[in-house]
Amino acid sequence: MHNDVVLVIVVGTALAFDFTNGFHDTANVVATAISTRAMSPRLAVGFAAVLNFVGAVISLAVAATVAQDIVSSSAITTTVVFAGLIGAISWNLITWYFGMPSSSSHALIGGVVGAAWAYAGASAVLGDGVLGKVLIPAVIAPILAFIVGIVGIALCYRVVGAQRPGVVARGFRLGQVASGGLLALAHGTNDAQKTMGVITLALVANGNISANHFHVPTWVVISAASAIALGTYVGGWRIIRTVGSRIIRMDPAQGFLTQGAGSAVILVSSHFGFPLSTTQVISGGVMGAGAGKRLSAVRWGVAGDIVTAWLLTLPAAAAIGALTYAITRVFGTGVAGPVVVATVALLLVAYGFVRRIQQGAPVPAG
Amino acid sequence: MALAEIVDTTALWQTIVAALVTGIGVTLAFSIAVFGIARFVELGRDGRSVAAAGFGAVAAVALIACAGAVVVGVIVMTQK
Repeated sequence: MHNDVVLVIVVGTALAFDFTNGFHDTANVVATAISTRAMSPRLAVGFAAVLNFVGAVISLAVAATVAQDIVSSSAITTTVVFAGLIGAISWNLITWYFGMPSSSSHALIGGVVGAAWAYAGASAVLGDGVLGKVLIPAVIAPILAFIVGIVGIALCYRVVGAQRPGVVARGFRLGQVASGGLLALAHGTNDAQKTMGVITLALVANGNISANHFHVPTWVVISAASAIALGTYVGGWRIIRTVGSRIIRMDPAQGFLTQGAGSAVILVSSHFGFPLSTTQVISGGVMGAGAGKRLSAVRWGVAGDIVTAWLLTLPAAAAIGALTYAITRVFGTGVAGPVVVATVALLLVAYGFVRRIQQGAPVPAG
Repeated sequence: MALAEIVDTTALWQTIVAALVTGIGVTLAFSIAVFGIARFVELGRDGRSVAAAGFGAVAAVALIACAGAVVVGVIVMTQK
């Protein structure tokens, strides 16, 4: 009985994570379209929310990777998954508070790895999977988006450079509506699936699903897709500002290119089951599109801050995940630990929101 | 253990090549479409309708190529 209560808490926490993922990450998806005025903020966010939902239900390769290739399912309990999720949510909210676009994906993977390590030692972590499916693609993907951005913008300016700026700008603004939609779809395929993978991992740990007959239940797909879409709609306006205007000032061609580069890298990676950081990929594309026009157009100081946040994400989320597991165990192996930790986490989140709103309310949609 | 045994290098290379080809290819095709539309508008305004139609056709082909790439991409995603 108490295992089922913990499972319900885990599913609720995972969906809360998915919501913060949409809130935190998907803002980056719409930032370029808003920055270049291709779409109004409200339209861009609504459009992204719908396409995130669609993207979340069209592929399950990334969910399979998260559930099967990161930690050993035989060494996982629902409490471990819960602690990992708290680690990820905490890191997401800390970076949101400071307006830094770090990676929700790496926060989630870091949190689960940290909690699993605290529970069963290093053997619970599938090092090959973490290295081959997470760390190496994490390094390659933003570089790939940077290359697509820098080469693409050079070709683009070469083709349209001599034309009237007004017609070209209108053309690329229209293109941004399509590329922005594709990017939102790509985001849904990669990010919502990580939550599906974690919930499935908890279901395996709780004995609801056999590890030998892995599948993601339909209710998990629909609920995760809905949570990320809702988070997207609420929006992370502070981070929109950082990605949309603080790295570079973008023209519509650069905005189109950034979204196109991001979509291409994320969709292809999702197809092969690589759980990427969409934030890293889009930031790589933004920097490439900026550097392709003029190296000094990129605010390398801001880019450096983002890289620092990336480097910190996995270890920081892992540490918080491990600490959360240790705190949970203080209350024994039953339901008390997760209930106490979830309650404290909710109170801290509410406090953080109130403080942030008091300091300066986020930009409202519209 | 060799890195090649841990990493699915085939999938990784396919990811790199496919992302580069589609990312740069679609951008180039859309740029050509914008170029074609800009020339179509300009030549149409000057009354050179045959030349304008040619650029309009170039723009249409480029837009169809972009749309085709997107559709194929989504179909491939849904088939795995």
